[in-house]
Amino acid sequence: MNPKRILIVDDESGFTQLVKLNLEQTGRFIVKEENDGEKAHATAREFRPDLILLDIVMPKIDGGDVAALIREDFELKKTPIVFLTALVTNKEASSNGLMGGFPFLAKPISLEKLIECIDKFC
Amino acid sequence: MRGRSRYKKQSLTIMPSPEKYSILLAEPDPAVAALWLKMIKRPSVSQLSVKHTAKTLDESLKILEGGAIDLLLLDPDLSDSKGGDALKRIRELFPDLPIVVLSGIDDDAAVSKILEGGAQDCLIKGRFDARTLIHSILSSIRLARAESSMARERDMFQMLLDNIPERIYFKDRQSRFVRVSKSLAWLFKQDDPQELVGKTDFNFFTLEHAQPAFHDEQEILTTGEAIVGKTEKETLADGSVEWSLTTKMPWVDQQGKIIGTFGISRDVTEIKTMDAALSAERHLIRSVIDNVPDRILLKDVKGRYMLVNSAHAKLLGLDDPSQALGKKLGDFLPATVVEQHTAEDEEILRSGMPMISHEELMENALGEKMWLSTTKVPLRDQEGKIVGIVVISRDISEQKKAREEVIEANRSLTEAVARLKKAHEEMHAIQLQLIEAEKMKSIGRLAAGVAHEVKNPLAIIDMGVTYLLQKPSSQDDETPQVLKEMGEAVKRADIVIKGLLDFSTPKKLDVQEEDLNTIIEQSLLLVRGEMKGSSYRVVKELHTDLPRLKVDRLKIGQVFVNLLTNAIHAMPEGGTLTVRTSTRQHAGVGENIGDSRTESFRIGRTLVVAEVEDEGTGIPSDKLSKLFDPFFTTKTTGQGTGLGLSVSKSIIDLHGGTIEIKNRPEGGAKATITLEV
Repeated sequence: MNPKRILIVDDESGFTQLVKLNLEQTGRFIVKEENDGEKAHATAREFRPDLILLDIVMPKIDGGDVAALIREDFELKKTPIVFLTALVTNKEASSNGLMGGFPFLAKPISLEKLIECIDKFC
Repeated sequence: MRGRSRYKKQSLTIMPSPEKYSILLAEPDPAVAALWLKMIKRPSVSQLSVKHTAKTLDESLKILEGGAIDLLLLDPDLSDSKGGDALKRIRELFPDLPIVVLSGIDDDAAVSKILEGGAQDCLIKGRFDARTLIHSILSSIRLARAESSMARERDMFQMLLDNIPERIYFKDRQSRFVRVSKSLAWLFKQDDPQELVGKTDFNFFTLEHAQPAFHDEQEILTTGEAIVGKTEKETLADGSVEWSLTTKMPWVDQQGKIIGTFGISRDVTEIKTMDAALSAERHLIRSVIDNVPDRILLKDVKGRYMLVNSAHAKLLGLDDPSQALGKKLGDFLPATVVEQHTAEDEEILRSGMPMISHEELMENALGEKMWLSTTKVPLRDQEGKIVGIVVISRDISEQKKAREEVIEANRSLTEAVARLKKAHEEMHAIQLQLIEAEKMKSIGRLAAGVAHEVKNPLAIIDMGVTYLLQKPSSQDDETPQVLKEMGEAVKRADIVIKGLLDFSTPKKLDVQEEDLNTIIEQSLLLVRGEMKGSSYRVVKELHTDLPRLKVDRLKIGQVFVNLLTNAIHAMPEGGTLTVRTSTRQHAGVGENIGDSRTESFRIGRTLVVAEVEDEGTGIPSDKLSKLFDPFFTTKTTGQGTGLGLSVSKSIIDLHGGTIEIKNRPEGGAKATITLEV
């Protein structure tokens, strides 16, 4: 089975690096980090991920706008996007709801739950 | 006053006396005297007897003074008196004495002089016989008596005319005065009644009286009917007015022919004036009672009207107050209206106590309702006996209406004030909520920023710990334990941050009608896990007929989970947990008088009270006031976030309720939630 290609977009490079390390350590994922929100779309076109983990609060551009760009891209519009954000309350976190039409995960997230979520969408 | 009666003619008859007459014969010549005595003493004439003879005037006078002489036969030439002196003297002293003079002078002029001097007859010596003498004597006696009687009558009549204040007159057929009394002359400012003779009423009165009086007299002349007791107004030529009570009669002569009128009238000006004054007074009083708007009436003991004024007549439906006299209220108004009044009247007649300013609803003859203020007092006669009731009543419908309007206005005002107060309270509550919301918004923004900035590092640490745990190089004895504790710390920090976000996120309630007991039961299920490990007893005293409340089920459930969890945590060694619900009426300011929330409950509204009690150690008194502050906790680190009660309070506030926590006197704490139905 080919490893799943995951693009993680977050301005916190420490976080993206550790997510990459943890995910790739399982041998099931290839992870591409992008710490600049504005480059996220281009990186995605180039990397062709199976799923994008997208931060919401970023300098210059927020996750919502990035998601909109990707959704408008004919070649990327079917790529699952999961928001990964610190701005989630207990209630929102336990509701399994959507945020702007996208599934979301609350930071901090355990590796176990992250993998569970990725497997669910790709 | 005017009346007529048939005039009856009175006849006057002088009856001849059967008595004997004593005669004094005054004759100086004894021979002559003897001759005359012989002439008088005739057997056929037993009536006459000569009792005395005298030769002189003196002698004659002495005998006459002795009385009992009916006639004097006098020879004028007595020895002590010559010529006409004797006759003159005697006539002066005895004006009524019949005197027959026996004169020696045969001369017509002399005879005339003697008769003028007062003798009833004069015979010439030698020229008469016995029969003539006797006839003369008897005639003279009769004549003298008739003259005397007539003179008395005349005197009496004259006295009447001269003295009586009533005015008496005789008028001819042309209504000219023939004879009048002095009083009538005085009325016309004349001293001598003779001045009026030949004049008429037209000379003294204005036409106003003279004309009808003349008319009346002409009618009497025609009909022969008298006018009796007629009151006449007499306006004199000088303008003065007199009132008289007059009787006028036909003046009938011996033959029964009406030759004029006579009458008598009395000055009744004073009586008339008094009468007019009385009448005016009566009219004035009547006018006053008829013109006052109040109802004035008098009833006798049987309830029959003795007096009714216009205002009351109007109430009875009458135009003329006199139509009510002798009738009863029941003759005009329905029985339902009458009953109450009859009862009142009977009570006043029985007790003699007045009824003052009694307000009552009355119905008039048209069925219109009105409010009356009625005063009834017993009417007493001079002996103090109750003979009826005086009633005065006033229509106070307008005042009553005005008073009711004032009361109504006052009520509206009170209502408006209450509404205003309520609105003010609501505004105050909203203001508090707005301040609270504004505060929470700031905290929310702060919390969001803090959450973001803290959670990212937490996420990195969490991922880092996860990574390190999987690294074979870190598999010494202590490292995995350290990494696990780091992971736990991250989770705890995460819980705090999430709680902060919960607390600060603007909330909206999803309000439905809910049963508070059900919410409490569900909350108890959720905290079951907290009770593991020790022995807990749960006592539920839930009111069986609790009214349903409009609340957000999840939020209120969250509050109870908080309170129940706190209670369980307060008894780590186990104990009794009591949950109680009840209702009560809000009776006004209670023990939480200073709490603005308590004051916002409406008096009389139903309140639902829920209580959660534990048997723990209670709360230190210096901490009680800080219980609802965010991040305040009495729990050991890691057991509580310090946000539970803050969140609970904000939820209860949003529901318009109150929450308070107190230490129980018997130990432990009690949380009380009060919500309005």
